Amino acid sequence: MTDFTIIGKPTAMVDAAGKTTGAGKYADDLSLPGMLVGRILHSPFPHARIKRIDTSRAEKLDGVVAVVTGKDAPNPYGILPVGHDEHALATDKVRYVGDNVACVAAVDESTADKALELIDVEYEVLPAYFDPEDSMKAETELIHDNKPHNLEKDYHHVFGDPEKAFAEAAHVAEARFIANEVTHAAMEPHCTLASFEIDSLTGKPGRLTVWSSTQVPYYLQHKLSLVLEMQMSQIRVIKPLVGGGFGGKSEVIPLEIIAAVAARAARAPVKITYTREEVFWAHRGRPRTIIDLKTGVDKDGHITAVKARVVQDGGAYCSYGVVTILYSGALLGALYDIPNIQYDGYRVLTNKPVCGAMRGHGTVNVRFAFESQLDELALKLKMDSAEIRRRNLLKPPCITINGLRVQSYGLPECIDKVVERSGWKNRIGKLPKGRGLGIACSHYVSGAANSIIRSDMPHSTVNIKIDRDGGVVVYTGASDIGQGSDTMVAQIAAETLGCSMARVKVVAADTDLTPIDIGSYSSRVTFMNGNATLRAAQDVKKQIATAAARKMACAPEDLVFREDKVSKNHVGAGGLPALAEQGSPSPHQQSSVSGRVEGQILRGSLQQKRKDEGPKDQLTFEEAVVAAIDFHGALSGTGSYAPPAEARGGKHKGAGVGPSPAYSYSAQVAEVSVDEETGEVTVHKVWASHDCGRALNPVSVEGQIIGSVWMGMGQALTEEMVWKDGMLMNPGLLEYRSPSSVESPEIEAIIVESVDPEGPFGAKECSEGSLAATIPAIANAVYDAVGVRLHESPFTPERVLAALRAKKNAKTLNLTEGVDPTSPVRFREHGGSLWFRGKGPERHAQDPSRRESVVKAGGDD
Amino acid sequence: MSLPQFRLLRPRTLDEAVGYLAKHTDKLRVLAGGTDLIPSMRQKLFEPEYVLDIRHVVELKGIQPRAGEGVSIGALTSLSTIEHSDFLRRHYPVLPEAAATVASPVLRNMGTLGGNICLDTRCLWYNQSLTWRKGCGFCIKKDGDLCHVAPGGSKCWAVFSGDTPPALLCLNAEVEIAGPSGLRRLPLREFYTGVGDAYRKLRPSELLTRVFLPEASVDYLGVYRKLRVRGSIDYPLAGVAVVLKRSNGHVSDARLAITAVNPAPLLVKGASEMLAGKVIDEALAEAVGDLAAKTAKPLTTSALTPEYRREMIRVFAKRAVLAANN
Ligand SMILES: Cc1cc2nc3c(=O)[nH]c(=O)nc-3n(C[C@H](O)[C@H](O)[C@H](O)COP(=O)(O)OP(=O)(O)OC[C@H]3O[C@@H](n4cnc5c(N)ncnc54)[C@H](O)[C@@H]3O)c2cc1C
Ligand code: SF4
Repeated sequence: MTDFTIIGKPTAMVDAAGKTTGAGKYADDLSLPGMLVGRILHSPFPHARIKRIDTSRAEKLDGVVAVVTGKDAPNPYGILPVGHDEHALATDKVRYVGDNVACVAAVDESTADKALELIDVEYEVLPAYFDPEDSMKAETELIHDNKPHNLEKDYHHVFGDPEKAFAEAAHVAEARFIANEVTHAAMEPHCTLASFEIDSLTGKPGRLTVWSSTQVPYYLQHKLSLVLEMQMSQIRVIKPLVGGGFGGKSEVIPLEIIAAVAARAARAPVKITYTREEVFWAHRGRPRTIIDLKTGVDKDGHITAVKARVVQDGGAYCSYGVVTILYSGALLGALYDIPNIQYDGYRVLTNKPVCGAMRGHGTVNVRFAFESQLDELALKLKMDSAEIRRRNLLKPPCITINGLRVQSYGLPECIDKVVERSGWKNRIGKLPKGRGLGIACSHYVSGAANSIIRSDMPHSTVNIKIDRDGGVVVYTGASDIGQGSDTMVAQIAAETLGCSMARVKVVAADTDLTPIDIGSYSSRVTFMNGNATLRAAQDVKKQIATAAARKMACAPEDLVFREDKVSKNHVGAGGLPALAEQGSPSPHQQSSVSGRVEGQILRGSLQQKRKDEGPKDQLTFEEAVVAAIDFHGALSGTGSYAPPAEARGGKHKGAGVGPSPAYSYSAQVAEVSVDEETGEVTVHKVWASHDCGRALNPVSVEGQIIGSVWMGMGQALTEEMVWKDGMLMNPGLLEYRSPSSVESPEIEAIIVESVDPEGPFGAKECSEGSLAATIPAIANAVYDAVGVRLHESPFTPERVLAALRAKKNAKTLNLTEGVDPTSPVRFREHGGSLWFRGKGPERHAQDPSRRESVVKAGGDD
Repeated sequence: MSLPQFRLLRPRTLDEAVGYLAKHTDKLRVLAGGTDLIPSMRQKLFEPEYVLDIRHVVELKGIQPRAGEGVSIGALTSLSTIEHSDFLRRHYPVLPEAAATVASPVLRNMGTLGGNICLDTRCLWYNQSLTWRKGCGFCIKKDGDLCHVAPGGSKCWAVFSGDTPPALLCLNAEVEIAGPSGLRRLPLREFYTGVGDAYRKLRPSELLTRVFLPEASVDYLGVYRKLRVRGSIDYPLAGVAVVLKRSNGHVSDARLAITAVNPAPLLVKGASEMLAGKVIDEALAEAVGDLAAKTAKPLTTSALTPEYRREMIRVFAKRAVLAANN
C-alpha cells in the first residue's frame, strides 16, 4: 500500500500563502470594535503574602475601564486535575517574581501601563526558595500549604532487581549531571482576545468567545468554564494562526483566563499580548534538573541496570510537573533493552516561574545524562560508541520492563544510517585534535495513551462534510501551531478520498465548530487526529462508494478512488483497493442505505442524463459525490481515535505516563570543533535520522528534524535561564541566547520509515523525538575532540574552558564559580554562566540565598 | 511595553537641531538610528519630554575623504555604509571590520556611527524593564543609590559595549561636537569619562556631528576581534582592536584598544611601546595579551564570568596582534 498520490509527497503547507504574505492572522492581529487593552501587574517579590490591594487610584485614571484582582475570579485551576493550584490573579500569596496580581483594562496600552503604577499593593515578604535541594528541606513558610517540604510529587519505581544487576555488572558508571533551565522562546508572544456577548434578556455578559494563541483550545475552554463558572457550551475558543508553541502554549497560560475575567468586568472585549519578559515569566519551560545516574553493563556491553534519581526545580506551581517527573523515569525504557530499572523522581516547588512541558517533555535532560554515561561505559569497555548502542536494541514487538508496548522500531536503521552517512567508522577518534564526532539516540511518544483528564472519551474526533461540487470540508479540533497539522489533515483526507488537495478545506480548532481534540502536545496530533481523519474519510468514502457502485453496477469494494476519479478496479492505473483495511464499519452505513430515492431532491438534468447513459466504468469525484448526496440525502462522516487498551501501560502508581501507541526513534552524529584557548564549541554538521513511521509530508518531517536539532543545540551550547534571588537575569531574546543563523550547522535529516501498524498510513511522531539526542551527541563529540566530559549543560565557552584547564592542570582560573562542569555538585543559586557575586534584591532575612555571606564584588581596584 | 509619551522634534538642518538642543537641553534625548534609544525608552530608562530625531539632517551623513587630511565621517552615517565603504576598507580597514560585527544586518542599516560612539553603557541590572528594576531594587545609574555589581562602592561600573570605538581609538580618531557656543573638536580618547553612569563628556545641549580619521592613520594593518556567544546580534562581551604598521618586517607603529570590559573603551597603555621596533612572534603577542588583560576590569555587568572575559581579552589580543601581522 505504498502507491500514494499525496501521502509521502513533499507538500506545501496549506496556510503558507497567508503566512508568507502577511495576510494570515495571529491573535495579536485581531481586534474588535470597542476593544480594550489589558495589562497585568506582576509581583516584584518571589514569595509574599498580599496584605492589601488598593486599585482605587488606578480606577480613577482617565481611560481605565476596569481593574480586576484575585477576588474577581477566585476559583483555582491547573492543567492537571491533581494540580489545581493556580488562580487567574493572586488571591492570598504571590509565589514568583512575575506572578499575576491585578489586571487593568484601558483604552490603550500606555494608559493601562500608567494605571499599573497606581495600584497599591502591600506585601508581607516571606522567605523564598530558589534551589530545589534547599527547598525540599523547608519546614515552614511553604510555597503551598498542602505540599510539605515543597515537594510537588515524588515517585519511586523499581522494576526487576537493579541492586543485584549492579553487583553482577562488569562495569558501573555513576555520576551527577546537571541540566540548566531553558524555555521555548517561540517567536509569537502569547496573546488572548476575549469578548462577551451581552445577554439580551439580562443585560449581563453572556456567551464568551476567546481567540487565543494556544495549543489546547479544548483545555482552555474547560478551565475557563471552571474559573468563570460558565457552561463549556457558553464558551467558544478559537485558535487563530499560532507562531510556535513548543509546549509553552500547551496549557492554560495566565493571560488567557485574565483576559476573560477583565472582559467580563469591563463589559468590553479585552486583548492582552505579553511582552517578551512576560513570556519568560509565563515560562512553562524545561526545569533545571539534577540527575544522579548509575548504569551497569556486562562485559559485552549489554546494559544490566539503570538507576536514576532526578530532582526537578519546578517553579511555583504544579503545571504539568507531575507528568514531567514521570516521563523522566518512564522513558528510561522503550529506547534500549534495559532489564532492571530504579527510578526516584522528585518534582520540587521553588519560588520561580513555573516549569511545564517543553519539546521532548521530561525526557531531554535524562537522555543527556544517559547517553553521556553510555559513552563513558563504552570507553571503559573499549567499545565503539555506535556498537554499544547496537548491542542494547529492543526486540519488538515487546513490552518493556516498565510496561511500555513497543511495536514499530526503526532505531537499528537510524543508527546504521547516521553511522554510514557521517563516515563514522573511518573518522571516529581519527579527526585532528580539537575536532570530534559524537553519537547519541533518543525516542519519544506519539501521543500519550492516557489523556490528562482520565476518561474513555476519544482523544480526537474529526467530522467531514462534502458538498455537491465535491468540496471537502474537514472539521478538526487539531491545533496547527506552525507544525503543519492542517496540512496533514488535508493530506490524509485527500489521499483517502482520492481527491485533490485543492478540494479540501480544513476548519480547525474552533470549539463551536470542531469536535473535541485534546490538543497539540506530546506529539499526538498526526497519530491521533490523523487516525480520526482517516476514519472520518473512510466513513464518507464508504457512503460515496455505495452510491457510486449502484451507478456503475458493481460492488462498492470494486471501486478505486484516485486522482479525482472513482473507477472500477480494473480501469485506470489500478492502485488502491476500494476501501482501506483500517477502521471500523461506520454506524452511518446502515441508516444511509435506506436513504432517499435518487433524484428526488435535486433533479438536475446532468444526473438524469447520466442515468440514461447506463452504467459507466468511471465517475468523476463530483459525479460520485452528487450520486452519494442524492442517495443519502447528505454526505458527512465522522471518525474518532482512542488509543488501544494494550498500549495504556502497567499498573504501578504513575504508570499512566509514558505509555504511547507508538514511539519514534532517532539517532544522531554531531561533528564539532573546540577552540582550546577559548572553550568555544562549533557544531559543523549533524546527521540526524528519525524513524517517523511514515513521512506523510517529507519536507515537513525534515523541517521538524532540523528544528529539533537546532533547538537541542541551543540547549547544548547557549541557552540558559540565569537567576539571582528569584530574579530572571535574562528575560529577553538578547540575553537568552537561542542560536542565530550564523552558528546553525548543516543538518542532514534522514528519514527512516518503519511503518507503524497503528499509525495513519503507518505514521508516528516526528517533532520532538530528535531533540534529546542532540545534546548528548554534542557532549560526546566534545569528548572526542578534546577529551573533556561535561556533566553540566549548556556547554558555554567558560564551562568548556574551565574543564579544559582542569584537565591540563593549567593555572586555575576561577571561570565557573568553583563548580567543575565535569563534576558539578549543585546548582549555582543563579544558574550557570554568570558569576554574580553581586548584591541583588533585598529580601527576607531568612532567604537561603542571604544566609551565606555575599562575597565582595570583583572590582579589584 | 509601551513607549513613554514625548514630543518629537524633526530638524532639517544642524542649526535647527542645535537650536532645539539649546532650548530644551536636559529635557531632550537625541535619536539617531534609535536602535539603542528606543528599547531603552520602552524599558523606561529614559522618559524625555522631547525626542530630537536628527535623521533628516543630511549634512551629518556620509564619508568624505579630504585630500591629505584623512577622512571625515558624518555622525549619521549608518554602520552598514561604513561596513561596505571601499574607501574605508582600503585605507582604514579596522573600522569597517569592527562595524561589520555590530548587532545584525538589520540593526546596522539603522544604527549610526555617532550612536555607536554615544552608546549608553550597559549592565544586566540596568537594561531591564521598569517592573524588573522595581523588583530588584534601583541602582546608581538609574533611580537608586547602590550598585548590584560592586555593592560596597558608590560608583557605577556599567560597561561600554560599542564595537567601533576601540577601532576608532586605534586610528586616533577625533570627534566634532556642536553646541550653543559652536563647534569643538576632541580626541575620541578624551570623550569617555571611565565611569558607568556619566560615561561621556557631552553636555545635554551638545550633539556629536562628525568623526575625523587623520591622514597619519591611513593604511595601517588592522584587526578587530570580538567575544560574543552567538555569531550575530550579541553585543561584545569583550573586544580587541589592533592596528599596526611595519617596515622591513619590524613594527614601526602600533596601537591596541579594548572594549566591553570597562566603563569606557580604552587604548591599552604600553602596548605601542611593547610592539614598536619588534618583529612579531607568539611570545610578543602573548606579552601584549597579558598587558591588555591587565587593563581589562570586567565585572558582573554582562553575561559570562568576568574571569572568563578577562582571559578572552588576553587570548583575543594575542590573536589580533598575530592576525594583523599576517
Ligand atoms: C539587539 C541589539 C544588538 C546590538 N548589538 C550591538 C553590538 O553588537 N555592538 C554594538 O556596538 N552595538 C550594538 N547594539 C547597539 C546599537 O544598535 C548600535 O550601537 C548602534 O550603532 C547605535 O546607533 P543608533 O544610531 O541606533 O543610536 P541611537 O539609539 O539613536 O542613540 C544611542 C545613544 O546615543 C545618543 N546619540 C546618538 N547619536 C548622537 C549624536 N549624533 N550626538 C549625540 N548623541 C547621540 C542617543 O541620544 C542615545 O543616547 C545593539 C542593539 C540592539 C537592539
Ligand atoms: S554597574 Fe552598578 S550602578 Fe551601574 S548599572 Fe550596573 S548595577 Fe547599576
